[in-house]
Amino acid sequence: MTCNPELVTGYVDGALDEAARAAVEAHLVLCPACRDQAESERALRQRLRALAGAEPRPALAASVRRRLKQRPLSVSRIFLATAAGLALLFLWGRGSAPFVALELAWDHGHCFSKRVLPARIWSDDPDRVAEWFARQGTQIPAVPAAAGGLELVGARYCPLVDRRVGHLYYAGRGRHLSIYAVPGSVRFARDFLETPGGRVVRLLRVEGRTVGLVGERPEDVAAFERALTSTYARLE
Amino acid sequence: MDRDERFEAEAIPHLRALYGTAYRMTRNAHDAEDLVQETFLRAYRAFDRFAAGTNIRAWLFTILHRVRTDAFRRAARSPRTVELAGDGPAVPAPQDALARGGEDIERALAGLPEGFRTAVILRDVEDFSYEEIAKILGVPIGTVMSRIHRGRALLRQALGGSRP
Repeated sequence: MTCNPELVTGYVDGALDEAARAAVEAHLVLCPACRDQAESERALRQRLRALAGAEPRPALAASVRRRLKQRPLSVSRIFLATAAGLALLFLWGRGSAPFVALELAWDHGHCFSKRVLPARIWSDDPDRVAEWFARQGTQIPAVPAAAGGLELVGARYCPLVDRRVGHLYYAGRGRHLSIYAVPGSVRFARDFLETPGGRVVRLLRVEGRTVGLVGERPEDVAAFERALTSTYARLE
Repeated sequence: MDRDERFEAEAIPHLRALYGTAYRMTRNAHDAEDLVQETFLRAYRAFDRFAAGTNIRAWLFTILHRVRTDAFRRAARSPRTVELAGDGPAVPAPQDALARGGEDIERALAGLPEGFRTAVILRDVEDFSYEEIAKILGVPIGTVMSRIHRGRALLRQALGGSRP
């Protein structure tokens, strides 16, 4: 056998089968270098075995036991936690003005993109439209018959993601404007004005109710805001 | 004896040995504690699959090694190993190689690439057999022999000669 230092290591550790062990033993008699390696490894092994191990903190065992008692989250608990999180997110999003503005802008575009406006009541009289809504349990604020060259043409209820809104249609000179009576709570500042998808959305608080104005031009929306404000000034 | 009592009686007594090895693997008390905590957590979850009466010590060390390997994988790197050309050590000996206290051998051990260090610790400190080490590390017995041999060669070199 020629020198095989790995086998010498296996020999020192008693890890060789009978034949290999006998071959290494015979080789060691003849080879001082391998004998030296074997002696050296035995001495090293003794020193390593005598090493004191690092002592853990006394509190480690208690800490391990504490962690073992913390039950892992079961699938159903993870599902419930996720569902609760989504519900909270939904409730938060529901009252968020940018979210509502996005919904109104989308609905405005949807209704006015149809070949025939999907109104349920056709009228240019704000009182008749208000009565129609009132019969179905919705009080809408007093709205103008016309403003900025756009006139009332009809109304209907429109479904949003989470609520149903009263939707009044105004049209004229190739332009369109929507007034929305938005039920439920919406959080927004007095000067809320956004343009999601290129449409101008203004949210107002009128007699404690949320009113949304959606148009294609800021001037039209401003004209309706003035008209609504003056209507209320007259009523008061 | 219920499951928790069995775990307490059979697994927890190995905490000290696991910590000692974890400390030598990580060279850091905080990381060693994390390693031991995670090892016991996994062992506890898998305790139903552990066959009573078999070698729980080797089973716990196998989990310890897996936790360590997973941590390396998460950090997108593997334990540092070096291939030796021939039989000679590939790292220079420390300057205090002639020292002969326990401190020098600990330092030399700490300086080994992790693959060799773990094999040497399991064999020479924890006294596992080659078969047990092969199962713990998930490698063939020949690889175990080679790592122990190379680890010891590096240690001997670091300690200043062929004799420790």
